[in-house]
Amino acid sequence: MAVIDVVNLSKAFGPKVVLSNVNLQVQEGESLVVLGGSGTGKTVLLRNIMGLLTPDSGHVAVEGKIIAQLTRKELFEVRQSIGMCFQMAALFDSMTVFENVAFGLRRHHKMAEADIRTRVEECLSMVGLKGTDQLKPAELSGGMKRRVGFARAIALKPKVLLFDEPTTGLDPVMTDVIGRIILDLKHELGITSITITHDLKSAFEIADRIALIFRGECIACEAPADFKVNPHPVIQQFLRGDADGPFLQDPPPPKRKTQEAHP
Amino acid sequence: MVLTLFDKVGTAVLGATDTFGDFAVLAGRTFAAIFKRPFDGKNLLNQLQSVGVNSIPVVALTSLAVSMVFAVQLAYGFKQFQAEGLASQVEGLAIMRELAPVITGLMLSGRIGSAMAAELGTMQVTEQIDALECLATDPIHYLFVPRLLASMLMVPLLTVVSVYIGYWGGYLILVGVEGQSSYVYGNEFYKLLAFRDLRIAIYKAFVFGMIIALVGCWKGYRTQGGAEGVGHAPTSSVVTSSLWILIADFFLTKLLLV
Repeated sequence: MAVIDVVNLSKAFGPKVVLSNVNLQVQEGESLVVLGGSGTGKTVLLRNIMGLLTPDSGHVAVEGKIIAQLTRKELFEVRQSIGMCFQMAALFDSMTVFENVAFGLRRHHKMAEADIRTRVEECLSMVGLKGTDQLKPAELSGGMKRRVGFARAIALKPKVLLFDEPTTGLDPVMTDVIGRIILDLKHELGITSITITHDLKSAFEIADRIALIFRGECIACEAPADFKVNPHPVIQQFLRGDADGPFLQDPPPPKRKTQEAHP
Repeated sequence: MVLTLFDKVGTAVLGATDTFGDFAVLAGRTFAAIFKRPFDGKNLLNQLQSVGVNSIPVVALTSLAVSMVFAVQLAYGFKQFQAEGLASQVEGLAIMRELAPVITGLMLSGRIGSAMAAELGTMQVTEQIDALECLATDPIHYLFVPRLLASMLMVPLLTVVSVYIGYWGGYLILVGVEGQSSYVYGNEFYKLLAFRDLRIAIYKAFVFGMIIALVGCWKGYRTQGGAEGVGHAPTSSVVTSSLWILIADFFLTKLLLV
């Protein structure tokens, strides 16, 4: 049985159809990377998995439990087994790094303060942020915030991790650092994960399978090697990073010839 | 033309019903969440500090100013009829029954209601409320309940502070400026009052506290649209809660004085 089963999922906001009959299965321990252009519904997919949005039709099942049919109490139980890493980290800005990471532990586990401290330090060292526990989110860089978000997500030892564009807006070096941390988490914790990213380099490193969402539909979901050679013009255009092709709805501005610099 | 009018009226009625229904559902969920576990004592203490202790200066200054102005008006008015002695009696009655709870309620809707709306609004647009949901924490239980409890407890206490400050505001004018005897002022201030009046003031403040917290949290929780939305939420919260405080004051006065 798949850990995450997305069946005929459709979601629209007013007249705008964001997801249309999306089907995806993620097996235990598998790492799925979801690619797609901006505004194609990748984040909406994750929010449906977390139960933050309700599907218009179809459903999402996590470990066999259909999310939209759960009571609030049952939904919270399922959410304790899923760690969500937000695009902009979504750290609680009135709390320190320590309090952010300890938040779930304090709410859901009757742990001694010393055990909480040990677990928080363990999570922070996993993401390479040991010694930052007393800082406030406002004192952290973008990359550090994302990593604290990872630490907060893994603190409850979830079975599933969801990463929503973890590298967007970061410099190439920090993008590589984040990619390595996701890989480390995958190997050390053996967690099932779904990662949404635009960064092809880390996508091919992280993924067991890669899916591409195009205009609300999942047009491919296969192993990285197969994805690379998939002849679908949208996939090939996405891999080339070229503006010309069927990917964009509106035609891009014409390409200008690069002018030679004045002597 | 007529159809358009009906259409507009219908849309407005539906919109108002939708808004009121949304508020009622969130308020109901908040009251239901009061008894849920885990109880977050630290969070409640923070709110008691923010709502109560930090509001003492603003409530004290406002009460002092209003009671002094009211005493000046009363002294002037009763002097026309050579009935200066009544000024302290009416001062006591007005402060206890109306000025203390209403002024405290209105000032706190500006101070804490707007802060709640801005804080929750910022949390909403920066996905912190979604993060709470993802960490299996009910935002209503974690954010609304401590604010509601703190307001329901602290607004009545601040109203008592306001009555006390109001007494001294009247004293400054009627004894210090108008030359009444302090002994007479002390006796006359309470002459028309009964314990029931203090009870009414506290009941009113309790309801005002509920209005301030629920409207502030509701407006913040429903914030949409980034910085503009966050900017709109506190304004809307203050206007809505002030209006409801004044409406509730009328009905509570009618109900409790009978």
